[in-house]
Amino acid sequence: MWKYLIEKEFKQFFRDPMLPRIVIVFPIVMMLVFPFAANMEVRNINLVVVDNDRTDLSAELVEKCTESGYFRLKEVCSDPRKAQEMMDKNTVDAILTIGQGFSRSIVTGDGFPVGIKVNTVNGTKGSIGSQYLSNCIMLFMQSHSDGGSSLQDASSGAVIDAAPKYYYNPYMDYKVFMVPALIVIAVTMVTGFFPALNIVGEKEAGTIEQMNVSPISKTSFIVCKMIPYWVITFFMLGMCLLIAWLVFGYVCKGSLWGVVLFTVLHIMVTAGLGLLISNYSENAQQAMFIMMFFVLIFMLMSGVFTPVSSMPEWAQAITYANPLRYYADAMRSIFLKGSSVADVWYDAAGLLAIGSAALTWAILSYRKTS
Amino acid sequence: MKDIEIHNVSKSYGKVKALSGISLEVDKGEIFGLIGPDGAGKTTLFRILTTLLLADEGTASVTGLDVKKDYAMIRRRIGYMPGRFSLYQDLSVEENLDFFATVFGTTVKENYDVIRDIYSQIEPFKERRAGALSGGMKQKLALSCALVHKPSVLFLDEPTTGVDAVSRRDFWNMLARIKASGVTVFVSTPYMDEASLCDRVALIMHGKIIDSGTPAQIVSKYPYTLLAVKGTPMYPLLKHLRGMDGVKGCFSFGAVHHVSIDSSKTGADEILAGISAAGFTGCEVRLISPGIEDCFMDLAGRGHKE
Repeated sequence: MWKYLIEKEFKQFFRDPMLPRIVIVFPIVMMLVFPFAANMEVRNINLVVVDNDRTDLSAELVEKCTESGYFRLKEVCSDPRKAQEMMDKNTVDAILTIGQGFSRSIVTGDGFPVGIKVNTVNGTKGSIGSQYLSNCIMLFMQSHSDGGSSLQDASSGAVIDAAPKYYYNPYMDYKVFMVPALIVIAVTMVTGFFPALNIVGEKEAGTIEQMNVSPISKTSFIVCKMIPYWVITFFMLGMCLLIAWLVFGYVCKGSLWGVVLFTVLHIMVTAGLGLLISNYSENAQQAMFIMMFFVLIFMLMSGVFTPVSSMPEWAQAITYANPLRYYADAMRSIFLKGSSVADVWYDAAGLLAIGSAALTWAILSYRKTS
Repeated sequence: MKDIEIHNVSKSYGKVKALSGISLEVDKGEIFGLIGPDGAGKTTLFRILTTLLLADEGTASVTGLDVKKDYAMIRRRIGYMPGRFSLYQDLSVEENLDFFATVFGTTVKENYDVIRDIYSQIEPFKERRAGALSGGMKQKLALSCALVHKPSVLFLDEPTTGVDAVSRRDFWNMLARIKASGVTVFVSTPYMDEASLCDRVALIMHGKIIDSGTPAQIVSKYPYTLLAVKGTPMYPLLKHLRGMDGVKGCFSFGAVHHVSIDSSKTGADEILAGISAAGFTGCEVRLISPGIEDCFMDLAGRGHKE
């Protein structure tokens, strides 16, 4: 009986004009496009320089900034008002003002009359841009004060060289960071939302009515509906890992069994959520809307794109109820750090708690509507 | 033995009373028609009897089994064909049939004789997807799927709604054959003309049974003399007739008006004279025998006044 039910789901799945293609295309697009596009690195910051010094040194500073590759020099002018006007018009993102007497103060070591103004309409671009810019100036200053220090006496003491070292992702490559997170998103979509839409689809078609008058229990009917999607999920997971390895050369540092275990736990959560959605919606449109609501909240508050620790406290509190937070954290830890399941036990506990709550609620509401 | 027994069943959706105090009995092996307009509560009653919905009050049993307590057993003994075509459109004819047979724990082969009559008509298209079938063929497939597990009671909720006249006649012929094989058929329809094809009917309106019995019994209870009146223009004629002395009711029936009259006060000749005098042209008045629809209109109208 179960065999036949599952067979029917697979038949329907493969006959759908869209679904099989989505399952193939979705991970490919996710893995090949997103890591490049959904990138937190900021490049091509439009820069205008107000150079009031006009010396070789100031020109060198400008060159230093532009050769970093992060800035695109729009203009060098001497009128700060004009620069401000350009920023107001949104043609430039940052203004670097080099004050009069810049080269003189470098020689005397009196500090730099340099000003930075950034356009923070796009907050990320603004704050990261100003960081880059000050880094450039720091580097410039260092190189020149080094030259100057030889003139000074050596007793000025050891210079503390603080060079950060990045663990687990040595080049701060955003792609490495995103790959496990994208797997998380793909798995969530396929396990939670496809089956929910499928069940709502049977509701719309009226076929669920036919099934309800049959001796088959509702539970086995639903479980048989979900099993194919679980199989498909693992197929997709494999595909994502394969792409990560073939294209980016990333391999999972931890055990694949850990990845599988957390995926299973996450499936439990999404199955519960999917069932809840299908219980409370009468048609596909409603289901889609509820899903959009959850997907947006889950993704934005999961730490997938922006770190949880930088959220305000009340928002951090909300993330504790977000299954994606745990799953994403666990996947990153296992994938990038090679953590064992024991290392991320709290993520497993979180998933288990949310999963059992969602499933219980789903089953209760399911019985009530019967 | 009664195959379906309904005692005082009521059901409300929030404040809307869908069924109030329904009581009916359906004998084994008969075609029982539940006849009423849209929104009368037909589907609600079907859903209660097919164990999909619980009644607020009252009890019901199918093949002697209680719909609440023994719902699991009932499900093995009934076939249900909901009003909308509800098979898997993306599965083929054969796959649909196989699927429903399996779900009910049987095989098509085992019960082929039950569905042969109907299924043989669509068997040439068994490779075709159900979604690509014509309306009449879809209906035959749905009926085959509802019969494939050899049910003793068949529930058909508005099976002929939206089906063309030829397919409708075909369908009723099939029902007669199904009945001949010993299956009790409980069917609902908004079409009054189908009442005469049932062994017994119940008229339902606003969640209440307004009359039940054999079609002949119901018609024989009609208290007035009925006339078919023709004349132009139609609509002013209807209004004029309603105002005439001795006229109990008047409804438009296609090209004619059915006028029920109190024969002690007026007659066909008086009506004809009256409308001719009022300036209507092409007047014709004929004495006719009432149909179920006339009875329904009369009963529904009376229920309204009470």
